[in-house]
Amino acid sequence: MNIGKQLKEGLLTQNPVLVQLLGMCSTLAITTTVANGIGMGLSVTIILTLSNIFISLLRKVIPAQVRIAAYIVVIAGFVTMVDLLLQAFFPDIAESLGVFIPLIVVNCIILARAESFASKNRPLAAAVDGICQGMGYTLVLVIMSAIRELLGAGTLNGVRMFPAEYAVQMLALPVGGFLTLGFLIALFQWAQSKAGKGGK
Amino acid sequence: MSKQTQEAAAKPPKAPLSIEPRYIVWLVGTLTGICLVVSLLLGVVNQVTKPRIDAIQKAKMEAAMAQVFPADEYIAWEGSLPSHVSALYLARSGGADAGWVAETSTSGSQGIIKMMVGVDLEGKVTGVSVVKHSETPNIGTKVVDDQSVLERFTGMSHADGEITVNSGSNRFDGVSGATYSSKGVAAGVNAALAAVGELS
Repeated sequence: MNIGKQLKEGLLTQNPVLVQLLGMCSTLAITTTVANGIGMGLSVTIILTLSNIFISLLRKVIPAQVRIAAYIVVIAGFVTMVDLLLQAFFPDIAESLGVFIPLIVVNCIILARAESFASKNRPLAAAVDGICQGMGYTLVLVIMSAIRELLGAGTLNGVRMFPAEYAVQMLALPVGGFLTLGFLIALFQWAQSKAGKGGK
Repeated sequence: MSKQTQEAAAKPPKAPLSIEPRYIVWLVGTLTGICLVVSLLLGVVNQVTKPRIDAIQKAKMEAAMAQVFPADEYIAWEGSLPSHVSALYLARSGGADAGWVAETSTSGSQGIIKMMVGVDLEGKVTGVSVVKHSETPNIGTKVVDDQSVLERFTGMSHADGEITVNSGSNRFDGVSGATYSSKGVAAGVNAALAAVGELS
């Protein structure tokens, strides 16, 4: 197990959004405000870590032929429990994340990590993988939502930066999500290829 | 990652798919077992959280009712209700009927908008409060989260016909760029006015 390597993979070389292109649907949909980006990122990180630990614990029990069905049951069960607990004990957080929590069940990052990492590694490594991949996802969400909120609405985390009349509302709409994501992926690929050349 | 997982996926499953009854029983048994454990846990979590969630929901509804039509008590109306109205309460103050509060559910742009609408005995709107919605942040929320927009309904009635968005004689000025959310909210107010109109 190598925490440094896993962290680098999660944040950069194997970033779930920019490199693996997973979880596009939620990425495009919710990155309209920074608060949303942070909220969704943290919820996914927590559930990803928990489901990774459990699937890693169960990896020798689950038969290969029915593994996908078993993962989905475990993940959906987890998400529902977290949702209920949040609603009962942290109603304010549940209020602001209410829309996203059911979306996490079908977030393919969680299923992809369960299949490609947690089912082949020990629980501790799986937990670290969940945290690192979740951080990579959160990082991209925060960057994207900061760009879209600032240019699309003229605010940053709710604080007004410039008058709303100068904002480009297109960026807050779905088309702005696609554009921002496309530019970010291109920028990232360019930076990576440049770093690769410099290294050689 | 992609190459590695492709190889893993291409590998034949560990045990060849046999129709041996014992193997099938084992597959079904494991999956059933996982489902049972997850359901059991969900049941326990639901038992623990349900009373608290119900209490929080009730408090929220009561706060919204008090906001749109302050009164001493609210008596649930028994009887058939028109479409889009999920509950109707008779508001009483000082022992006399004072007005109505209707709970409405209408479609916005992203999902159901649930709100409380206060109507006085003359059939005029006294206040609107959105209880639950899933409108797009920064777009639809300019309607449903902005009390100054919702206050535009105050004093409107069905005396001049149905309320229409941005047109007609009984006009509600919606928010540009958030037409569907504006229409959803207006539909809720119309439903509440219609429900009260049928009774008086």
